[in-house]
Amino acid sequence: MSALRADELEIVEEKDPELNEQQFESRTPWRLAWRRLKKDRVAMVSLGFIVLLILVSLFAPLLTALIGHGPNTQYTTRGLSLSGIPVGPGHNGFLLGTDDQGRDVLSRIIYGSRISLEVGIGATFLALLLGVVVGLFAGYYGGFLDSVLGRFMDILLSFPILLLAIAIVARFGPSLGLLIVVISLFSWPYIGRLVRGQVISLREREFVEAARALGASDLRIMFVEIAPNLVALAVIYATLLIPVNIVLEATLSFLGLGVQPPTASWGNMIAEAQTGDLFTVAWWFLVFPCVALVLTTLAFNLLGDGLRDALDPRYGRSHISPAKRVRRAFRVRRTPPAPEPAEAKA
Amino acid sequence: MIRLIVRRLLYLVIVLVIITFLTYVVFFAGNPNNLAARFAGRDAGPAEIRDAAIRLGLNHGFWYQYWHYLVGLLHGNFGLDFQNAVPINSEIARAFPVTASLVVGSVILWLLIGIPIGIMSATHPRTVRDRASTTFALTFLSVPSFVLGLLLLLVFYYYLTRAGLSWFPAAGYVPLTQSPVQWLVHMILPWTSLALIQAAIYTRLIRGSLLDVLGEDFIRTARAKGLSRRTVIYKHGVRAALTPVITQLGIDIGTLLAGAFVTEKVFGLTGLGQLALNAIGNEDLPVVAAVVVLAASFIVIMNTVVDILYAVLDPRVRLA
Repeated sequence: MSALRADELEIVEEKDPELNEQQFESRTPWRLAWRRLKKDRVAMVSLGFIVLLILVSLFAPLLTALIGHGPNTQYTTRGLSLSGIPVGPGHNGFLLGTDDQGRDVLSRIIYGSRISLEVGIGATFLALLLGVVVGLFAGYYGGFLDSVLGRFMDILLSFPILLLAIAIVARFGPSLGLLIVVISLFSWPYIGRLVRGQVISLREREFVEAARALGASDLRIMFVEIAPNLVALAVIYATLLIPVNIVLEATLSFLGLGVQPPTASWGNMIAEAQTGDLFTVAWWFLVFPCVALVLTTLAFNLLGDGLRDALDPRYGRSHISPAKRVRRAFRVRRTPPAPEPAEAKA
Repeated sequence: MIRLIVRRLLYLVIVLVIITFLTYVVFFAGNPNNLAARFAGRDAGPAEIRDAAIRLGLNHGFWYQYWHYLVGLLHGNFGLDFQNAVPINSEIARAFPVTASLVVGSVILWLLIGIPIGIMSATHPRTVRDRASTTFALTFLSVPSFVLGLLLLLVFYYYLTRAGLSWFPAAGYVPLTQSPVQWLVHMILPWTSLALIQAAIYTRLIRGSLLDVLGEDFIRTARAKGLSRRTVIYKHGVRAALTPVITQLGIDIGTLLAGAFVTEKVFGLTGLGQLALNAIGNEDLPVVAAVVVLAASFIVIMNTVVDILYAVLDPRVRLA
């Protein structure tokens, strides 16, 4: 029996270093997260769709040249029937049909994706910047600064933001830049509040104390020590904020306050389809922009959900057993579920 | 309780001052003379523009006008609109019932849809039912309200009517006092389009909050003393889980009462949202300011109601 045990020990000792080395090399938090994300089929499909969408919007001129129809060209002879009815999908070489002015719906959707992504990603980026900086200061310094900034964010969040956004856009005239600024102005408090909560717990951690003991300045602690721990949180919530902002842009464009025709945006395509009642006989130029919009927001939402699972093991579902999941779900949770960055250490 | 209400009223005053100020700043950031010129009529000369400015009270400085407006507000008077010199109070009195019936109906509908689904998916986590409700929620969370509204119109109005079943009207509003049946028929589609999207949010909210509550000690205690699963879930669990829902409901009702812009536009309902949109298009400052003030008031009032409800629902708040 004792001889047997010695055998086992030998084998284990031979295998172990090699195994550990291999695992050690591949186990950065991001790789772990990526591995978890890869198992999530829904998230991967969404990611694929988003990558495709980005490519489509980048190569919009090339694609429309390949199709042979410009986004704003009115094909009055081929694109409209004799009585002026738009041509249906698949007819006369219009894959998704034409709209009331005989323009190619597909080309317009392709160009509309540029607007949606520009505004969605641009506004989210600005909101992220503002939210992280304000959240860092509020959470790190606490006290008076925190209560002022916190109250300010609360007030912004409880305002009828659509109304104010509409008023601002109406006053200064619609433009793409203003649209991005206005949207980010009203969406940054979401990020700000999350970051603030996270920073409040991070600033008590040992590595911050260590940095302070080494004489690091407040700014250095905030932006060099604490900020990297916020990356996972930022990635998750930015992904979830993009669809919100895309919808906000589409809504403003739909109300006639966003991107102005003839420039195609999904929102104003839908608005144009609604104004003449022509979409009752030609459903396609209403339905296809709607489908594009819904698929895009859905993809971002699903990817965000998947990212949350992948980057934050506490919410994970793909790598724990079903029984454990239920037990975890019913577990006592005393503190509000502030998401923790995935095992990341500064 | 009185302290709470007084504090809320003070808060309301502060918010109103901030928000009306912002509205005024936004509108006066341009040149007030442009505003006057706009309402002086076409081909107006400088003299006519000056007359218009005096008529609209735009000849005074920014602070004077703003102060004047606040004093009017204190008397419950929103002033006259720029466009037709009609009292704004009566315009609001006409628009508010439309918005109110839209909001009240859809709130009832979305709670009826959202709460049961949320409870079901929280009490059966990670099952097929839970996944189905998650799919429902994520789908409707991703659909903008104007898309849903237009698609509902397309299917339930145009296609049904063409098929010979004219059950639903296209758009418009019939007052409840005029014909309750017509009112109901005209409101069904707007209610549905608003309620489905909101129900998605509430499903997620209830699910999360009930899951948290069901993991707490007092639930285990209740189970341990032999109460049935049903009693524990509904009497102990759901009651405690409703607090975040009520907070959200307060905010939502307050915001929507100020005008469900998109739904009102899609279904041609002449509520507060339409009033505000038209006013913004016409640069009719007093009307915009009035709707903004109403919105802020609704939100603060709803928050106060929520705080009082908290105390009723949750003994921990009452005792604290």
